[in-house]
Amino acid sequence: MTLRERNNVQVQGSGPLTLVFAHGFGCDQSMWRFLAPRYAESHRVVTFDLVGCGMSDLSAYEPAKYASLSGYASDVLELVDEFAQGPTVFVGHSVSAMIGLLAGLQRPEALHAHVMIGPSPCYVNDSDYIGGFEREDIDSLLDTLESNYLGWASSMAPAIMGAPDRPELGQELARSFCRTDPEIAKRFARATFLSDHRRDLPRLTAPTLILQSDEDLIAPVAVGEYMHRVMPNATLRVVRNVGHCPHLSAPGASADAIDEFLAAFAP
Amino acid sequence: MAEQPPSPLPAPEPAQLFDEVPCGLAVTQAPSGLILRVNQTLCGWVGRPAASLVGTQKLQDLLTMGGRIFHHTHLQPMLDMQGSLSEVKLDMRHADGHRFPVMLNAIRRQHEGRAIDVVSITMAEERNQYERELLLARQRADELLLKEREAQDALRIAQSEASRLKEAAEDRANFAEQMIGIVSHDLRNPLHAILMGTSMLSSERTLAEEQRRRLVGNMMGAARRAQRMITELLDFTVERVGGGLRVEPRAVDLQAVVDGAVDELALSFPHHRIRHEKAGHGDAGADPDRIVQMVGNLVANAVTYGVPAGVVTVATSVGPQGASISVHNDGAPIPPQLLERIFEPMVRGAQAAAAARNVGLGLFIVRAIAQAHGGSVSVMSSQEHGTTFRIDLPSGGDPTKAS
Repeated sequence: MTLRERNNVQVQGSGPLTLVFAHGFGCDQSMWRFLAPRYAESHRVVTFDLVGCGMSDLSAYEPAKYASLSGYASDVLELVDEFAQGPTVFVGHSVSAMIGLLAGLQRPEALHAHVMIGPSPCYVNDSDYIGGFEREDIDSLLDTLESNYLGWASSMAPAIMGAPDRPELGQELARSFCRTDPEIAKRFARATFLSDHRRDLPRLTAPTLILQSDEDLIAPVAVGEYMHRVMPNATLRVVRNVGHCPHLSAPGASADAIDEFLAAFAP
Repeated sequence: MAEQPPSPLPAPEPAQLFDEVPCGLAVTQAPSGLILRVNQTLCGWVGRPAASLVGTQKLQDLLTMGGRIFHHTHLQPMLDMQGSLSEVKLDMRHADGHRFPVMLNAIRRQHEGRAIDVVSITMAEERNQYERELLLARQRADELLLKEREAQDALRIAQSEASRLKEAAEDRANFAEQMIGIVSHDLRNPLHAILMGTSMLSSERTLAEEQRRRLVGNMMGAARRAQRMITELLDFTVERVGGGLRVEPRAVDLQAVVDGAVDELALSFPHHRIRHEKAGHGDAGADPDRIVQMVGNLVANAVTYGVPAGVVTVATSVGPQGASISVHNDGAPIPPQLLERIFEPMVRGAQAAAAARNVGLGLFIVRAIAQAHGGSVSVMSSQEHGTTFRIDLPSGGDPTKAS
């Protein structure tokens, strides 16, 4: 199994900078559909599926390796070595922002800058720290993931509803977005929502953009502010957006913030 | 007789239909989820008036926390990307706190220039119970399968252990039978010689002094052979069953000990020349009685299997690195297949003369004694160089097995 197959790697565009886009918990690289083509016009763009998600090779999913984010981080470094050219910016959504953090701490020379979209170093509240969730909330999520074993399977066949208003989506409807094996989804949810990387944040010296939605249940503004406070070389940008995926629901504002960051960042 | 076809109903009032259909309906702002319109059915289910929902609450606010996370990580991005959702199962919360499972379908539409999500919700209480039971049954089946696999593994291990024990027991039984055979056969010869001798001594009054002496000498030799066999059997039993031979090493002049042993052996084997070569000097840590026993076994072996009337060379070397005793004889080499297991009990060369036969434990005991000293024994045998057994003893003679 090649790395390309393992992570369903797609490379497009060319330019002096390589942007590696990593999706978060719950979906796959199709999340980058609005941003990736835009950056491919003047950059080398690498998108991929984390092992266990999307069209990655499910047989490569080793529960022990992926029980913590460091397993994913070592995959990221392998992908950067094989597919990146020149200075590399890692664009990580949600949990992948922390995966990028770990990869960057392990090999600082491999990742020259980080864009973190809706990141959180720790989701569970801890005395003074407000992560946004209690431990039982995470259990409630695991419960929801489990009971969607059947529901989820049928949501992969959206033919009943169709999308008559958006014929451009017609062909894509044939495939399914955010395909996830429910068992893996539960394991990934545990690795994501029970992780705590607050102590790693101050050690990342590479330039970092924290892209924060003003109304995000998963990563509240307080978390973005906390990160901005403890990271030595971070910029915080808050965009108007409800939800956890500004790159999908507010792609224009997200791209503006990233453009500004990339312009200031001289490789 | 054909029945009258039912007459079609007039078109229902849309607002009334919206409110009264037996499923929950909501129209929300996309992508925020802010409720723009909600029907009576859904209001009844969540126990809240429409006025308290429209324009203030988001649809996801009506879900449990797990459902709200799921909405953010899965449902919202899917609606953004594929414009629809179907058959998603979530838990909703009633104003009084109790929760109930629902199935949710949604489609994104454009309405007068703004994006909205049209959401239909059906109660899934019984379906949920059924699915829970299915899930539980599957978990139980998985657990049972796991248990069965474990049981099978345990059974396999137990079976192989049992067959290993059975083989070992059979080996022991065979071995014991063989040994009884050899002992009874081999002990009979010297006992026979002693009985013959005593009967001659008691009946023949006219024996010449010379004849009498030879007779007594033969009887003593036979008695010694029998004694050696019994000693070997005892040592063997101790080594095999009693947890190892015991030796009591102390600082001794090893060459003097071997000298004494060789002198005695020369008397026992008058037809062979037994030489003793010495190298180095000093004390070695060893149990002198056991050294005599090892040299005796090896010399007896050399006499039995070596060239008739040949020379047996015993060489003792003592030095700071340890001591060694080797016993060499000329003669046909030991066959290679025999060489491999020559220190195992009851392995004997083919050409042993009946009179010199023993129980076949001599070399086994030599090895046991050497090892009890923390040393070892080895053998080299070839047509050209003859056969040499060599005992190596560590310096200091402080073997772990010594007591």
